[in-house]
Amino acid sequence: MTEIQSTGDDSRVEVMVPDKVPDDGMVDDAVRKKLGVGFWIAVGWLGLLVATVLLAPFLPLDEPNKLGAGPARTGPSLDNWFGTDALGRDVFARTVYGARVSLVVGFIAIAFGMVVGGSLGLVAGYFRGRVDQVISFLFFTLLSFPGLILALLITSTFDRTLRTVSLTLGVLAVAPVGRLARAATLVFAEREFVQAARVIGAKHFRIMTRELLPVVLIPMAALALLGMGVAIVAEGGLAFLQLSVEDISWGVIINDGRGIRDLQENPHVALMPIGVMFLTILALNFAGDRVREFFDVRETAFQK
Amino acid sequence: MAETHVANTQLSVRDLTVRFPTTRGTVQAVNGVTFDLAKGASLGIVGESGSGKSVTAKTLMNLLPRTAEVSGDVIFEGEDVRQLAEQGREHFWGVKMTMVFQDPMTSLNPVKKCGEQIAETLRYHLKRDKKSALAEAEDLLEQVGIPEPGKRVDQYPHELSGGLRQRVVIAMALACEPSLLIADEPTTAVDVTVQKHLLDLLDTLRRDRGMSMILITHDLGVARGRCDEIAVMYAGRLVERAAPDTLFGDSRHPYTDALLRSIPRIDQPSHTRLEPIPGRPPELINPPEQCAYAPRCRFARPDCLESIPQISGVAGMHEFACFHPANTDRGREALADNLAQGRTAAGLDVTDLGGPS
Amino acid sequence: MKQFILRRVAQLVLVVFAVTFLTFASLNLVGDPLFNIVGVLSGIPDEQCEAVERGEISDTQSSGLNMGDCALIAQAKEQNNLDKNVVERYGIWLSDMVSGDFGTSFVNGDEISDIVRERLPVTIRLIVLAQIVALGIAIPWGVASAYRANRGFDKVSTVGSFGLLSIPNFALGVILLYFFALRWQIFPSRYENAGWWSELKALTLPALTLGLGLAATYQRLLRTDLITTLQEDFVHMARAKGMSDRHIMYRHALRPSMFSVITVFGVNTGALIGGALVVEQIFSIPGIGTELVEAVLRNDPPVVISLISVVAIGFVLINFFVDLMYGYLDPRVRTS
Ligand SMILES: Nc1ncnc2c1ncn2[C@@H]1O[C@H](COP(=O)(O)OP(=O)(O)O)[C@@H](O)[C@H]1O
Ligand code: SF4
Ligand SMILES: [Mg+2]
Repeated sequence: MTEIQSTGDDSRVEVMVPDKVPDDGMVDDAVRKKLGVGFWIAVGWLGLLVATVLLAPFLPLDEPNKLGAGPARTGPSLDNWFGTDALGRDVFARTVYGARVSLVVGFIAIAFGMVVGGSLGLVAGYFRGRVDQVISFLFFTLLSFPGLILALLITSTFDRTLRTVSLTLGVLAVAPVGRLARAATLVFAEREFVQAARVIGAKHFRIMTRELLPVVLIPMAALALLGMGVAIVAEGGLAFLQLSVEDISWGVIINDGRGIRDLQENPHVALMPIGVMFLTILALNFAGDRVREFFDVRETAFQK
Repeated sequence: MAETHVANTQLSVRDLTVRFPTTRGTVQAVNGVTFDLAKGASLGIVGESGSGKSVTAKTLMNLLPRTAEVSGDVIFEGEDVRQLAEQGREHFWGVKMTMVFQDPMTSLNPVKKCGEQIAETLRYHLKRDKKSALAEAEDLLEQVGIPEPGKRVDQYPHELSGGLRQRVVIAMALACEPSLLIADEPTTAVDVTVQKHLLDLLDTLRRDRGMSMILITHDLGVARGRCDEIAVMYAGRLVERAAPDTLFGDSRHPYTDALLRSIPRIDQPSHTRLEPIPGRPPELINPPEQCAYAPRCRFARPDCLESIPQISGVAGMHEFACFHPANTDRGREALADNLAQGRTAAGLDVTDLGGPS
Repeated sequence: MKQFILRRVAQLVLVVFAVTFLTFASLNLVGDPLFNIVGVLSGIPDEQCEAVERGEISDTQSSGLNMGDCALIAQAKEQNNLDKNVVERYGIWLSDMVSGDFGTSFVNGDEISDIVRERLPVTIRLIVLAQIVALGIAIPWGVASAYRANRGFDKVSTVGSFGLLSIPNFALGVILLYFFALRWQIFPSRYENAGWWSELKALTLPALTLGLGLAATYQRLLRTDLITTLQEDFVHMARAKGMSDRHIMYRHALRPSMFSVITVFGVNTGALIGGALVVEQIFSIPGIGTELVEAVLRNDPPVVISLISVVAIGFVLINFFVDLMYGYLDPRVRTS
């Protein structure tokens, strides 16, 4: 669940396969394609979140680390929407500031995965042969570490800055994204428009960036949304191991509030940010799923 | 529709109608099908693909999807089959009535050994223990003419050829000694060279065991020597029913007539041109109130477009559903009129094809 | 099949090398390996220790050293063969690992093989239990929703599994801990092991934490595969043979529909290992994850790399065996 993983064998990464479920023998009509209202609700939530994070300094919020923003260990109230924690810090303010780190980590991680994994996958799928073997083996090796273990290995070797943590989680995204890009490239490289470009003697680089990249990006887009959720969750996992950023993230806040005493006396400290985090992951998953269905991509590379 | 009930009738189907509601409209797959089958007899149901043969068979076997709307009566050995289905009766299908499907490649479970699959039926219905069930399975494999049955029980379906697989399917169907076997195009998917062997095997097994059989096929020739009676199906209706000799020598329905012309005949020189039936099978959603065959019928007259001909005649002898039957004066008149106009009432261009009409 | 196994074995060996080398390299290539092992002590110049050895100065406060610092450095160098080059060191380390000598902790001198022996079984029990929970829930759940696909129950299931997949496992752990251990006190809130029953009770919530999300993953895959299988002729054939729906679902349709689940089974075991790290923290379980995290926090690289290697190799092996499982599931794979 907190993993970015892929299956062990390339043949199992399926791309662009319509995923229609026959309706109990009924003659099925073409499914009308729509992103649907749920998609827009999900996007709306994500938009609200991003806006809140950007505007946080201008909102009438307490300092996230200010002690005694209210009496300690009080439940949700009008003054402290999410209540206060054992040190009297405002949980709502902390959740908003925690969103900043979590979203940034998620975004950088998946962006890194997309750029590095996407390029490697494209190159492997396009050139095939030796290049493909080497790159595929690299993916396979990366996937041979249980994800969080690899993250732990990297963060324990380097430091725990926002940059390191983000890039570490980005490394986790490289192999799954790369495999998808490779599989998609393999499919599209056979299509007429690419063959045509080859025939007229276009340069490899040009074919890859102009012809292949745009179509390979479609299945990757769905994966980006799902992957961002996975990265945010993974950051939370690292926070629980005290190996994440030395700053406020959702994982950090939840970890702060999960002690037996805290849970017994003021469970809102953990449960409120859990609720917000759940809604966010739900929104990312849902939006990603809709995009995936919209483009008819069946994807087994991500295990949530 | 004569309601004669012969004493040794085993299966009696009355006015069977099956509809499938779909998003595009209701598919009228089977429309008022009526027939009787005597104990130990064999009935051939012949028709083009999409004419409702399989749906009819599946209704008898209680295999229709839940969305299907069924009406009419199916009485098997005095029991109301549709009621049994509703009651969820066990040990009826697979024991008394069973079915063999078209494609032996897909009708065996790929992950179970052949012997296991046959034995399973015996264990499930007859509560045999594993060992005796497997021994019986081996025995059955022998009966359906599979060489080295001892070896085959331990093989997986994919290790056998199509012909052998279909024999395994047959053995499986016969395991509980059913009194009625429905074979739905049992040889369509196998190699031409083994088709005849399989059909003959079915025929022999049926006679030896005194079992009744419904043989579904799209090939009149297949049904000829192996059935006591042949029913021709078109657009979900039975359009002609007769003994094979009657049907082959003196057909009445223009569709049967056309089918006969489209099969190779041994009694004709091999270069005789086979005539494909012009046009396509009709749409089963919202069909017009007319003879379903009219758009393709060389005999069609204006009255054919006004109502649906009902099947009639002497039950058990020769019945058909046509206003201008072939090989009759009415039919000859109709054809002559159409030839004179160059087209039928439904707008089909006709020219003289010669031959008996 | 034989060739298939051979190919997979070759791949297996290669991956084991790659994985262990990566792990080893993180200690030995990034930064100064001596620093990684002994920390700030590595800053002591060699000459100073040589001088100590010759008895010219004593390693006491006066020279800015602590008693035994030099001995410690010497021991670290010797134990980790720091005078040799990286590839040689990797070779020695790997062959030691293979022969069961995982080295010792530099912080507390514990034998790492003892740590593994003591901690690993708990984690394995947790993970096995989690898989049992996941499959035990997912199979009947998937069967029920595929049986009446797109109907009421199935629709509710879809929402339910989607929700489950969106709860991070640490969040689920905290929620379960809060309700089942603290509020309703049905299960203990921390690990205890006074006999198998008490351990089972203590591992129930952690296993649920890991298994529920996984159950949702499996259920989705199983449902889709089952729906496809149920369209197959052999299912109609089984119905024509008069088998009950239940018998058909479990005895005919289930096994050929397990492919996707098996495919991700190995991968998800990896997810479980990662998840176990976190869940062990939440429920204070003395497993390998807890030890690993402690080793990282107390800066004990020999323990870290050995444990990570053990876990990674175990994971690679699991995936290897999962691949072999295909042969069992589908006899067609066996011969092709
Ligand atoms: N489950 C179903 N839903 C909708 N239409 C169906 C279904 N099963 C069969 N039909 C339709 O019923 C008609 C008869 O089909 P079938 O009995 O299979 O023909 P055949 O004579 O080739 O065996 C066809 O038009 C088919 O499309
Ligand atoms: S003659 Fe008329 S009733 Fe007879 S088959 Fe032709 S169209 Fe139908
Ligand atoms: Mg059919």
